[in-house]
Amino acid sequence: MSSDEKPAVPRSLAEALRARDDGSLAALLRARPDLITPVPTDLTQLATRAGTRASVVRALERLDRFALQTAEALAVAGEPAPYEELLSLLAGDDGDPAVVGALPRALATLREQALVWGADDRLRLVRTARELLAPTPQYPSPTGLGPTVQEATAGMSPGRIQEIVTAAGLPSTHDSVSAVTALTGLFGDRGRMAALLAEAPPESREVLSRLVWGPPYGQVTAEPAAHVRWLLDRGLLLPTAPGTVVLPREVALHLRAGRAHRATEPLPPAVEAAGTHRPQVVDGTAAGQAYTALATVEELLKDWDEGGPTVLRAGGLSVRDLKRTAVALDVSEPIAAFWVELAYAAGLLASDGEADERYAATPAYDEWLEQPAPQRWARLAQAWLTATRTAGLVGGRDAKDRTLSALGPGLDRSAAPEVRHRVLTLLAGLPEGASPSADSVLARLRWERPLRGPQREDDLRGRLARWTLTEAELLGVTGRGALSAHGRALLGAAAAVPQAAVPTAAEEPSGPGDKLPVHHVPTVVEPLSPTEQAVATAAAGRLLAPLLPEPLDHVLLQADLTAVAPGPLKRPLADMLDVLADVESKGGATVYRFTPGSVRRALDSGRAASDLHAFLAEHSRTPVPQPLAYLIDDVARRHGHLRVGSASAYVRCDDDALLNEIMADKRAAGLRLRRLAPTVLATQADPATLLDGLRAMGFAPAAESAEGDVLITRALAHRTPPRTAPEPVPDGPPVPDATLLTAAIRAIRAGDLASTTPRKPTATPADGGALPRTSSAETLATMQAAVLTGEALWIGYVNAEGSASQRVIAPIRVEGGFVTAYDHTADEVRTYPLHRVTGVAELAEE
Amino acid sequence: MNGPLIVQSDKTLLLEVDHERADDCRRAIAPFAELERAPEHIHTYRVTPLGLWNARAAGHDAEQVVDALVEYSRYPVPHALLVDIAETMDRYGRLTLSKHPAHGLVLTTTDRPVLEEILRSKRVAPLVGNRIDPDTVAVHPSERGQIKQTLLKLGWPAEDLAGYVDGEAHAIELVEDGWALRPYQKQAVENFWHGGSGVVVLPCGAGKTLVGAGSMAQAKSTTLILVTNTVSARQWKHELVKRTSLTEDEIGEYSGTKKEIRPVTIATYQVLTTRRKGVYPHLELFDSRDWGLILYDEVHLLPAPVFKFTADLQARRRLGLTATLVREDGRESDVFSLIGPKRFDAPWKEIEAQGYIAPADCVEVRVNLTDSERLAYATAETEEKYRFCATTATKRKVTEAIVRRFAGQQILVIGQYIDQLDELGEHLNAPVIKGETSNAQREKLFDAFREGEISVLVVSKVANFSIDLPEATVAIQVSGTFGSRQEEAQRLGRVLRPKADGHQAHFYSVVARDTIDQDFAAHRQRFLAEQGYAYRIMDADELLAEG
Repeated sequence: MSSDEKPAVPRSLAEALRARDDGSLAALLRARPDLITPVPTDLTQLATRAGTRASVVRALERLDRFALQTAEALAVAGEPAPYEELLSLLAGDDGDPAVVGALPRALATLREQALVWGADDRLRLVRTARELLAPTPQYPSPTGLGPTVQEATAGMSPGRIQEIVTAAGLPSTHDSVSAVTALTGLFGDRGRMAALLAEAPPESREVLSRLVWGPPYGQVTAEPAAHVRWLLDRGLLLPTAPGTVVLPREVALHLRAGRAHRATEPLPPAVEAAGTHRPQVVDGTAAGQAYTALATVEELLKDWDEGGPTVLRAGGLSVRDLKRTAVALDVSEPIAAFWVELAYAAGLLASDGEADERYAATPAYDEWLEQPAPQRWARLAQAWLTATRTAGLVGGRDAKDRTLSALGPGLDRSAAPEVRHRVLTLLAGLPEGASPSADSVLARLRWERPLRGPQREDDLRGRLARWTLTEAELLGVTGRGALSAHGRALLGAAAAVPQAAVPTAAEEPSGPGDKLPVHHVPTVVEPLSPTEQAVATAAAGRLLAPLLPEPLDHVLLQADLTAVAPGPLKRPLADMLDVLADVESKGGATVYRFTPGSVRRALDSGRAASDLHAFLAEHSRTPVPQPLAYLIDDVARRHGHLRVGSASAYVRCDDDALLNEIMADKRAAGLRLRRLAPTVLATQADPATLLDGLRAMGFAPAAESAEGDVLITRALAHRTPPRTAPEPVPDGPPVPDATLLTAAIRAIRAGDLASTTPRKPTATPADGGALPRTSSAETLATMQAAVLTGEALWIGYVNAEGSASQRVIAPIRVEGGFVTAYDHTADEVRTYPLHRVTGVAELAEE
Repeated sequence: MNGPLIVQSDKTLLLEVDHERADDCRRAIAPFAELERAPEHIHTYRVTPLGLWNARAAGHDAEQVVDALVEYSRYPVPHALLVDIAETMDRYGRLTLSKHPAHGLVLTTTDRPVLEEILRSKRVAPLVGNRIDPDTVAVHPSERGQIKQTLLKLGWPAEDLAGYVDGEAHAIELVEDGWALRPYQKQAVENFWHGGSGVVVLPCGAGKTLVGAGSMAQAKSTTLILVTNTVSARQWKHELVKRTSLTEDEIGEYSGTKKEIRPVTIATYQVLTTRRKGVYPHLELFDSRDWGLILYDEVHLLPAPVFKFTADLQARRRLGLTATLVREDGRESDVFSLIGPKRFDAPWKEIEAQGYIAPADCVEVRVNLTDSERLAYATAETEEKYRFCATTATKRKVTEAIVRRFAGQQILVIGQYIDQLDELGEHLNAPVIKGETSNAQREKLFDAFREGEISVLVVSKVANFSIDLPEATVAIQVSGTFGSRQEEAQRLGRVLRPKADGHQAHFYSVVARDTIDQDFAAHRQRFLAEQGYAYRIMDADELLAEG
């Protein structure tokens, strides 16, 4: 840094921060909330913290692509860099007007986030950021630029530099520094460079063009070919290591016409419309899907009503159960996973917590069922928007290669709510009824939050965005891919109005591939607070309400024993029909089929045939077909004809009068006898009690076997099934044989040798008995020294229970507050937390 | 949003027939959706890949299909379903079968990965020849049907542009003296001719023979007609002589007794499938002339060997005729892929409404087994149960009562079991036609019945099909071939020929209560119930009391 600064000019980031007003500081802290946890004591501390690696990485990761490119350009510019230099790095020699327009905003962002400070004539990138972004041989910069001439020639002999300067046609100077400066000046001068390169052999230019966009390093043989030699002679390639050359930054910039990036993206890519539908169609489709969503969740939980699937030991739903659910819902497995996760996120289902854990609906589900459809949808939508759980991950594998199961652990992704909100906001930016192409949405998101390093197709945010588009459609937030009116309302009042910022209506896109002239300046709509979100969701529910189909109270009965409900049914009607008939087809309407089985089910549930007739007559728009009426009567005729019950004992007697007598006897009351037929009484009491009871009443009953024979008491003694006699249990272990003994003794000897030999050092502790005590710094230093020398140490150690011991250890590694060492006392490698080591002493020399 | 159509998630379409726009909607969806059920209020159509591809073949595109659904749907159509339709239709036409001047029949593709995919299939490999260029592969002409069928199963239907051979020309004209083809018959002929090959589904008694004659007049070439039995063959001949310019001499009969091959030859399935020493000696009939048209009567009965041979006849025009394209063996799709897609289908009730078939009153009469019969039924062997309950003595009493009630009308009593039929014939004092009855005797009896000399005829399943008995007004079914839906429909068809005085036909099915007879009856009736024939169910006691 130069020392002659004017007082007004900040000399450090702290000073720059100090000069900022409160609003601008607030903006910084909003953008980088990690800086105020905990709240720093002063601005110096804030500046320090803003310069820490973790915080800078976090901030860089949240920059949009152009701001990041600006930062990258600053990292390869001089330190400090004037605005013009930065501009020319980004805009190139020809001065891309888009970049010229966008740069002030990008720079303002960087300044606001305290990544760049200093006035326009001396812009400085925070040092940590510079280190992160500047090219090094290990981590080539995203710009693909190599080191400067000055850096690359740092270790070069003055003589060699002289040769280069001469070869490049510059006046020779003996001072290496001025020689390098002259060379830099030459490379930076477009005119002179062009002249120099014009002389180059075509093969040499070919070599340069291969290196120009990076990586700038190349391999050369010990005896380079003539055209490479030509470049080496003139310093257009500089050696970095034996066999390796680099294209100096200035040369590359010349060849690139001054651009730091091959493609500068000053403007966010527009979200393209894949198609445009009438807003009514969009809202209608979305509403239809919203209704389907409600029906699906209801169906799911009804399916699980009588004991849902069991919870896996590791948590979650087994793959088989998910498959079964998918089949039951007639959807694919990923979509079934979505519905299951949605119901879970909305608190409608959970594990029952019993010993044999199962999933089941929560009490909240019953409340939810009672609510009107719009509220029910709002609850699902709210849960979806704010959930960090992502159903899309289900079926994938986690870092430990375990399958991620629905409802299981490991599905939380903190970025999910933000991405969902962002995607919906982008959709809201389109004119009403326009559906975006997924790729353009993804491209836009990648621009807004680029990945550092190579671009991958399957990055988490990209996948989250794709899932969001699918899930929004499933949930009825979008219809035909376009954001519906109620979906728009989910984003809160700010986005509730369709984007009015479209310059002219004439520019509205109408077909695939049309670019939308909106959102040149990303107006980031902040995710709503929970309260705001609840209000917005409720508003969305109100918008949805009139679009949902009105539940009907009638069905059409047909002579082929089917009933068609031409729309959703009112709840009691639907419940009754579910019992009385089998569902054959679902969708906008429901087709039911009456079968003897289904009618019997209704009769089993306590309805009489006349109830069923009345029910059908009441709810049918058309006369009840004769075959259906006949079916009900026919099933009812036979229903209950046979009766089944259980009894544990019976009395039978050919003499009705005797049974009459028993029934009349008050003493028989305790036996709870019931007359099944004139000659049979049944009871819940066991046969022995019944026999005793009847005998007490003065009768002489005989017991009957299951086959009806009279049982003769004690005719057969009670016997166990076949059993083996118990094995004798000798006192103590069996006497070992010779082989075992020999082996045992050998093992004991070996173990003894192992434990006594290294134990010798313990015989000479530093001082008798007491634990060694040293300061923690000293402990650490001694340990580290011991790692290097490989010496054994004597330590005092307090274990987790608080008991102290002395140990002799040979440290292998000291890191992260732990020492890993070979413990001579225990004869194994152990890891000790350093804070438990009371002290350390070197062993006395033997 | 108040259309007549409801789109279900299982790709069925429910059409409310009483809706004012129902007719428009029916026309819009007919090209791609197949009518599955047509009861009184809501008709069910199904959208299948096959239907969508046929629509593509007929020149409709996905946009039209989607528009039709969106236009008439009462509720928003799920986006996923629309996408699925578009994707399915997009699969059609990636592969084309065409004639190549040098290589004969070739399969070409516009999408190379698809060709690669199907060529890797084990089932396609034996059907194709050399790879001519990256997008073309040769196909042996005799495998044309086979490869089309296989590709259909793989989900990549081939568009067949190889065309048809004209066959040997032979002048055939309709002689419309005092009669004319009905509008729906004309429509059926037109649809068939436009489509090249295919199946026409018309209710029994709605004049399928005339559709055949119309198609022959359109083709004007030698024709091979395959029918179910000799009586039916004679009826075809009779009808063709009466309705077309063909003379007796131009029409040959190829059956067990005669082996004539003439410009128009009528052969029975039975003779074609006669097997001697492991070969089918009569299958060469297909090659005996350069047929320009092959007509399959009652195509739902097409026997398996004929299927096999039909696959090799893809270069000839094929017309299948049937009333009930339901096969209990589930081979409907083979009919579609080998003979051709459904080109015309009219709901029975619609033809009835136009007055071309008689309205019918269908009644299921339930008889009770006596107590001793019930006991015997309970102990009967499983395979004997149906026979036992279907031939219960109570049925005889009920049948007699019905015959008494309709005394003076022409009555058919139809059953499965010969003992039962003989017994009924004895009690009703009526002749019995069964398998052992000679053809001459059969024709004599049928003629006597037509003339009204006999008013009651007891028939076995030999009379299930193609027996034209216009004056029969009452049919009583006492037993059947288990749960066969098409048999039930065919039997009803015996009484559906429009009556001279326009009065109603009666169809009685006598069923033993609480037995598998009743379960089979329920299954048998499904097809007709889905066509809108509402069965009344009566107790036998009720009927006997009335009678």
